[in-house]
Amino acid sequence: MANRLLEVEGLAKHFRGGGNWLTSGGDSIRAVDGVSFHVEEGETFALVGESGCGKTTVAKMILLLERPTRGTISFQGEDVSRFRGGGLREYKRLVQAVFQDPYSSLNPRMQVLDIIGEPLRVHQGLRGRTLRMRVGELLENVGLNPVTASFFPHQFSGGQRQRIAIARALALRPQLIVLDEPVSGLDVSIRAQILNLLVDLQRDLGLSYLLISHDLAIVEHMSHRVGVMYVGKMVELATRDEFYGNTLHPYSNALLASVPKPDPDVPMGTTIGGEVASPINPPSGCRFHTRCPIYLETSMCREVEPDWREILSDHLTACHKVEPAVV
Amino acid sequence: MVNRNAEDDILLRVEGLKTYFFQRNAVLKAVDGVSFTVAQGEAVGLVGESGSGKTMTCLSLMRLVPQPGARIVEGEIWFKDENLLDITEHEMRAYRGHRMAIIMQDPQTSLNPVYSIGEQVAEPVRLHLKERGQQAMTRVLDALRAVRIPRPEQRLVQYPHQFSGGMRQRVVAAMGLTTQPELLIADEPTTSLDVTIQAQFLRLIRELQQESGTSVIWVTHDLGIVAQMCDRVNVMYAGRIVESGRVRQIYKEPQHPYTRALLDSVPLMGARRDKLYQIEGQPPDLRSIPQGCPFWPRCPEAMDKCKEQYPPRTSLGGQDFVHCWLTEEGR
Repeated sequence: MANRLLEVEGLAKHFRGGGNWLTSGGDSIRAVDGVSFHVEEGETFALVGESGCGKTTVAKMILLLERPTRGTISFQGEDVSRFRGGGLREYKRLVQAVFQDPYSSLNPRMQVLDIIGEPLRVHQGLRGRTLRMRVGELLENVGLNPVTASFFPHQFSGGQRQRIAIARALALRPQLIVLDEPVSGLDVSIRAQILNLLVDLQRDLGLSYLLISHDLAIVEHMSHRVGVMYVGKMVELATRDEFYGNTLHPYSNALLASVPKPDPDVPMGTTIGGEVASPINPPSGCRFHTRCPIYLETSMCREVEPDWREILSDHLTACHKVEPAVV
Repeated sequence: MVNRNAEDDILLRVEGLKTYFFQRNAVLKAVDGVSFTVAQGEAVGLVGESGSGKTMTCLSLMRLVPQPGARIVEGEIWFKDENLLDITEHEMRAYRGHRMAIIMQDPQTSLNPVYSIGEQVAEPVRLHLKERGQQAMTRVLDALRAVRIPRPEQRLVQYPHQFSGGMRQRVVAAMGLTTQPELLIADEPTTSLDVTIQAQFLRLIRELQQESGTSVIWVTHDLGIVAQMCDRVNVMYAGRIVESGRVRQIYKEPQHPYTRALLDSVPLMGARRDKLYQIEGQPPDLRSIPQGCPFWPRCPEAMDKCKEQYPPRTSLGGQDFVHCWLTEEGR
C-alpha cells in the first residue's frame, strides 16, 4: 500500500450561530461532523457533495484556515495541530491550494512575478535574477510564456489566471495541493486544458491532490479514490472503480443519477426529491433519511445513526440498508 | 406584412440577426448573423462558451439588449407572423412576459427582495391578463403548484430570502409560466443549483413542456443538459451558429471541428479517457474576430482557405447545416 501522506480522523467543525442578532449564540452549525479519510502519496482523493455538505470546510481545516472542533489531521504521521515554528512553516510549504475563482484569488495590483514570487521570497529567500528565473520556469511548467511575468492579472483570461494560481501553488515544490473546484469558473474548452495540466503535473512531480468538486464526471476523470459527503458526514468512500461501478449508498446513487448524461440515448435516472438538510438541525438518525428513496419508515433510519462500516475491502459506507458482503 | 412563416408549426424564425456593442473605439459583434427556427413544442439548445453570443441572442429576441451600448443592427425575428423588430415598444410588451418569457441564470437577482413571492408572481397576471383579486390569486396558486412548490398558500406571503436557491428558481419559473407563454427562454437556469436540485428542475420543465406544449430555448454550456432536454442544437462560436442539427445527429456525428472538440473535451461519466481533448488557445476576442472562419486559429484541420473566407452554409438535409470548408469541399 502506498504511504499515507495525509490522514484525517474524526474531524469535526461546529460553528456558532444559526440564530440572529436577537438570539445571540443560537444553535451550533455542525458543518463537519466526524469525517475520516486519508490521501496517499501521488494519488488524487476527491471529496464530493452538494453545497453545504462541508467539503470546503474540511479543506479549510487542512489548510489551517479553520481550527477543528474535534478530530485530528496528520501529515506524514504527525499531528498537524502540534506543529510550531519551523515544522509549521514546513507544513505550509508542503500543502498548497488552488481555489475556484481565479478572478478573486490573484491580487490585481501585483505583477505575476510577485504573485508567484512571494512564496519563494518568504520561504526560500530568493531575490533578483534567481527569483525571476524560477518564476519563469514555473510559468513554463504551467504553459505560460515567461515574458508574462511582468503582466498584471487583468491581462489574462480566466484559464490563464488559473494557470498562474497553479504556478503559485507549485512554487515551493509542495507534496499536497488542495484543489477546490479548480475548473468550475472556466469555459468548457479551457477546462480540458487545466484538467490535463493538473494530471500531467501530478505524474511529473508526484503530487497528491485533494480534489473538492461537485462535478462527478470530472471526479471520475481525475481521481483515484472518492469520498461522498452529506450534511457534514461522510456517507461513502471507495476507490474510483468501486464507487462508479458498485455504488452502495442511496445518496451516492442519487447524485450519479442526477447528472444529465451527454448522450441523448441515455435517459435521466431517477433522482430524489427534497433539498439538502440543514446542518443547523440535522435530521436525527441517518441524516439522509428525509430524502432517502429506500428509507422504509423504519425507526432505525430515523433514530439510529448508521455506523461507518467497511462493506467490501476499501469500500466504506454509512447506511443501515447496506449489508456487508459475504466474503 | 408578409407572412414569412409559411409552415404552420414554426413559432419563431430568426433571420440574419446582428447585435453589436458600440464602444468608443471598437465594435463588438456579439451576435453576427444568427438564423434559426423554433417549432411549436420544440426544445432548441443554444450551446457555446462565454462570449459566443448565446445570451445576447436571447436578449435580442426579447428586445432587452443592454441600453445604451448594444443595438440590434440587422435581422428579422418572426414570432408566428409578426416581425418583432418592426413593432413598437408598446406592442412588444404584449409579447414580453406574456407570449414569451425568460428565466435568467441567477434566481437571487431575478426576484425583488422587498416584494412577497405572491405579489411578484401575480405581476404578469395583472399586467398581461388584466386579472385581479381572487381570479389572479387562483392563477398564481396554480403556477406555484405547477412548479411543485409545497404549501403554496403559505408560501405566497413569504419573501425571497425565506426560499432556498432551488425554490427561488422555481418561483422565477412560475413567474415565467403564469401567462402560459408560447416560448420560454431558459438562460442557464440551473447553473447555481446543486445536481439533485438541478435534476428536479430539469424534470419539472420537461413535464411542464409536455403539459402545455410550450417551446423552449435552452441556453447552456452543459452538453449533458442539451442531450437530455433538447430536440435540436445550435452550436455558437464568436457570434454565429456554426452548426445546427437534431440532437442525436450532433452527438453521434458532429460535423464542425468545434462541435467535435467540445464533445471530446468534457469528461464523460462511464467513458474514461486518459486525456481530454484539448482545444488550444482562447475563445476569440470579439473586438478582433479573426478573418475567415473565426475558429481557424484553434482548429486542428484549418486550411489556407479558412483564414480568408467565412465558410458558406452547407445543408446537411432538413434544417441541419454547418459552416465549415471541410464539409463544403467534401473532405
